[in-house]
Amino acid sequence: MSIDDPSRADPEALLAAAERETRGRLRIYLGAAPGVGKTYAMLSAARAVKASGGDVVAGIVETHGRAETEALVADLEMLPRKGVPYRGRLVPEFDLEAALVRRPGLLLVDEYAHSNVDGSRHPKRWQDVQELLAAGIDVWTTLNIQHVESLNDVVQRITGVRVRETVPDTALQKADEMILVDLPSDELIKRLADGKVYIEDTATRAVQSFFKPSNLTALRELALRRVAARVDSDLVERMQGSAIKGPWAAGERLLVCVGPDIAAERVVREAKRLADLMGATWFAVTVERPGHVMSGPDRKRLEAGMRLAQTLGAETRSLVAPDVAAELLRFARFENITQIIIGKARRRRPVAWLRGSLADALVTAADGVAVHVVTAEADEAGGRRFDLPPLGTLPGYAAATLGVAIATGVGLFLSRFVALPNVSMLYLLAVLLPALLYGVWPAIAASALSFLAYNFFFIDPVDTFTVARPHELLALLVFLIVAVLISALAGRAREQTRIAAQRMRATRRLYEFSRKLSALADRGAVAEAAAVELHATLGRPSVILLSDQGALSIGAAWPPEDRLDTASMTAAAWAFDHGEPAGAGTGTLPSVAWLFRPLGGSEGGARIGVVGVERSLDSPLLDTESERIVGSLCDQTAAALVRTMLSAEVTRARTAAETERVRNILLASISHDFRTPLASILGAATSLIDYGPEIPAATRRDLLLQMREEAENLDQMVRNLLSMTRLESGALELHQDWVDVVELMNRAVSAVRRRGATQRFVVTSAPSLPLVKADQSLMDQALGNVVANAVRYAGREARIGLSATVIDGQLVIAVTDDGPGIPAEALPHVFEKFVRASRGTGDGGDGSGLGLAITRGIVEAHGGSVSARSPAPGQRNGTRVALRLPLAPQPETEPAAEEGA
Amino acid sequence: MTGVSVLVVDDEPAIHRFMAPALAANGYTALRADTGAQALALAVNRRPDIVVLDLGLPDMDGKEVIRRLREWSDIPVVVLSARDREIEKIEALDLGADDFVNKPFGIGELMARLRAALRHRMQEKGETPVLRLGPIEIDIPRHRVLREGVEIKLTPKEFDLVAFLVRHAGRVLTHRQILREVWGPAHEHDTQYLRVYVGQLRTKLEADPANPALILTEPGIGYRAGE
Repeated sequence: MSIDDPSRADPEALLAAAERETRGRLRIYLGAAPGVGKTYAMLSAARAVKASGGDVVAGIVETHGRAETEALVADLEMLPRKGVPYRGRLVPEFDLEAALVRRPGLLLVDEYAHSNVDGSRHPKRWQDVQELLAAGIDVWTTLNIQHVESLNDVVQRITGVRVRETVPDTALQKADEMILVDLPSDELIKRLADGKVYIEDTATRAVQSFFKPSNLTALRELALRRVAARVDSDLVERMQGSAIKGPWAAGERLLVCVGPDIAAERVVREAKRLADLMGATWFAVTVERPGHVMSGPDRKRLEAGMRLAQTLGAETRSLVAPDVAAELLRFARFENITQIIIGKARRRRPVAWLRGSLADALVTAADGVAVHVVTAEADEAGGRRFDLPPLGTLPGYAAATLGVAIATGVGLFLSRFVALPNVSMLYLLAVLLPALLYGVWPAIAASALSFLAYNFFFIDPVDTFTVARPHELLALLVFLIVAVLISALAGRAREQTRIAAQRMRATRRLYEFSRKLSALADRGAVAEAAAVELHATLGRPSVILLSDQGALSIGAAWPPEDRLDTASMTAAAWAFDHGEPAGAGTGTLPSVAWLFRPLGGSEGGARIGVVGVERSLDSPLLDTESERIVGSLCDQTAAALVRTMLSAEVTRARTAAETERVRNILLASISHDFRTPLASILGAATSLIDYGPEIPAATRRDLLLQMREEAENLDQMVRNLLSMTRLESGALELHQDWVDVVELMNRAVSAVRRRGATQRFVVTSAPSLPLVKADQSLMDQALGNVVANAVRYAGREARIGLSATVIDGQLVIAVTDDGPGIPAEALPHVFEKFVRASRGTGDGGDGSGLGLAITRGIVEAHGGSVSARSPAPGQRNGTRVALRLPLAPQPETEPAAEEGA
Repeated sequence: MTGVSVLVVDDEPAIHRFMAPALAANGYTALRADTGAQALALAVNRRPDIVVLDLGLPDMDGKEVIRRLREWSDIPVVVLSARDREIEKIEALDLGADDFVNKPFGIGELMARLRAALRHRMQEKGETPVLRLGPIEIDIPRHRVLREGVEIKLTPKEFDLVAFLVRHAGRVLTHRQILREVWGPAHEHDTQYLRVYVGQLRTKLEADPANPALILTEPGIGYRAGE
């Protein structure tokens, strides 16, 4: 089957279906108005499911005391409501936790649009339902058409009632089934008159205006259309899913351009309705001009518009380009947009006169793209407030007054010498300066003062405020225009500079932060730095929670804090599990004092933890700029944490590789060291077996001796290996007893002699040398290794001295040779495992590199120490290895009874 | 075989200690070298008949000793090596060593290898037109192979291969040496040719191809024609 097989099922459709299979299924009973019988219909259907053996539980059902409804609920299992404390009383609410624990097959949750009281996990019931669905529970719920977010303004226009509880369209689109519960308008009104309809809002006037036949008809139409559109999209999805060839929807793609004006929300809603009608995907886009700085209120309005678009299911994008129209069209072509929707204020702004409106530009340039222009109604467009500039500071007015005074003084002074054609020029300067420096109001004050002073001092009749000729008023007008224009321009420049400086500070902070992070090696330090940085940036307590095998714990907090209350931890865990913000200012557990954002997890990475910021008293939300900074900080922190985790892993891997390397050296070394004595033994033995009779008797004896010596060598090696293993595992047991060191040295010498050492040995000791408390066989091994080492490396004709003295309360055994010595660079490592001095002229390189390491291990186990010097003290060459052992209080000279104990 | 001198190169005194009497018992004269430099000097001055060489020497790599020896001499060299150092063995054989013995070894095995190496070096010098290997007779000039007097049909490559192996009978030949000689230098790494051809040869020549007695495998290294 080839890839472009047209009859192949659309993977997206299959994917959506697959996701729905693990999720619970949502059924919405949709009605045009209260009282049409949604709850009744839902309960009747639920009873039927229960009758056929379904596991049906009523999570929450509002019967409003109606007998026939209550009768339906009677034999259904009901979840008890949870009392949520609110303003001193307990409000009975739907118990989400209990529902998640009970896990029924089908849960009935009435009133999809309900708002939970503060302190619940989610502010809205539809969010509870989403969580239930995510947990795999099927949910049935009810909804009136006026609660649908995208229809909000339409409903308001029809009925004049503004509905506050809304459900975003995305929450509606998630429904797997939508069932229309319909009742003719007249019948509904009759039911209302009979008192059969429960109206929450008891403002009867509003009710009267709501339940008008015309309204109801309009609402019914809305509901019918909604369900019809839904049925249509179901059909399309099924056809795509099963690859039925059919007449496809035209594949319309919409783009709505959101601007900062008040009509933005209306434009977005319009676009949503259009998109639904066409079954089209849609984008909401803002285009900013580079360098253009939006005022605070403008930015808020723009963001509100974009947020609305997002809740209504649009894909949102922010673009930056100097030419808005061209950028929109470029984006449109790139995304195969077929329809562009823009808003247009009816009252034209002066700027638009100059530039031409966006609508005109789009219509002129759009090719093959339909452009819809939604005109904003006058009150909406006019609703845009003109923000008065700030009043200015006292120094501003003082400077204005001073400036005018100076201008007057200078003017009077100059007019004595020269006749100025127009002194007003000087006043222009006096207006210019406060305008540039202090804003519009001081500048206006300056222009008023200038006018008065000019009038008083320079215009006939002098010394009066009388205006003799009307055209003198022109000066005042000029002053005012200059004041306003210059101060506006300067103010804007100042504002831009301020914002630029602020951004630069933020950028620099971010840069410095990232530099700091890059120097930190472990998780804790990174978390600490991030918490401090967040606190410094936002001025609010911050906390970083890190996940360890899925369990969250505080990694760092600033100011230091080592625990969070249970509710906060719950919110943090929710944010971590769902990968979405939770806590203050979000849709989940908003009553918690902290706002938590997940850390990491973007672009397929693993989620690492959660960042928490305590909400400030005035606002739970972060402003846009802070939001942006927190976002960047989180990204940086996440990256740094990932890096530290990776570097920890690298270290682990490196350690493992090192262990592996050591093991390989050990194996190679052991196999080599065992092979040589084995080769000798095998060779000697086979020689005797094969050629015994032909070999002279003396040589036969030599071969036999060789076999014994090599076997002893092997034994020594095995003992060393075993000791090393015990030393490393800490299982070395010391059987301490009193040991005579001279005897020890003599034994070591005779052991190497027996193994064929040809060197000259000199054993010396201080007179009346004390005994040491030590493990005799281990000390034999320790000293034996040092002596064997000297034999191996010092050369066949070397002189090897063994001496024992007491220095500083320690017994020092020194083995000194006059061989070639150890190279200076190798000296510090001679007591390490598998380190061999380079092969000198010694008669064998068969040391395993374990000998001196074992010596050190044994001596240290006795509480002593080892050292090596080369050349040996007092010599030009050679090596001196010293073993220091602590001296214990000496035993009784007479054999004591404890000896046998 | 009297008067044959054997140069033993090893830095372990223990090896010399048992080798000297064993060699003497076989009628050989033993020459001892502890380092590579000593070995090269003795090879020049004393002209031994065969060299027993340990690859791990204190002053130079044993392979270096072979390389330098081969610059002027075709004296047989038997390498002593650890069993776990296949690569080293192959390199030594490629450089011109005749055979190898794994350490530790029985003296009898070493003596057998020494005898084989000595004998074949003499045979090679003789350039006989007809080679023999057990029941197999290879007539080089007439390109014929007879088994117990019956002619066996071989392809030209099969003939070249068996002739090369038998000419060096008793000696280990590495895959590379065989491939270079029979197929040419471009095919040094095409060991799969070799496996296929050796399989074919065995079915044609061996009495029991599953337990070959004529063409023996040296695992991981190469082949050797048995005796």
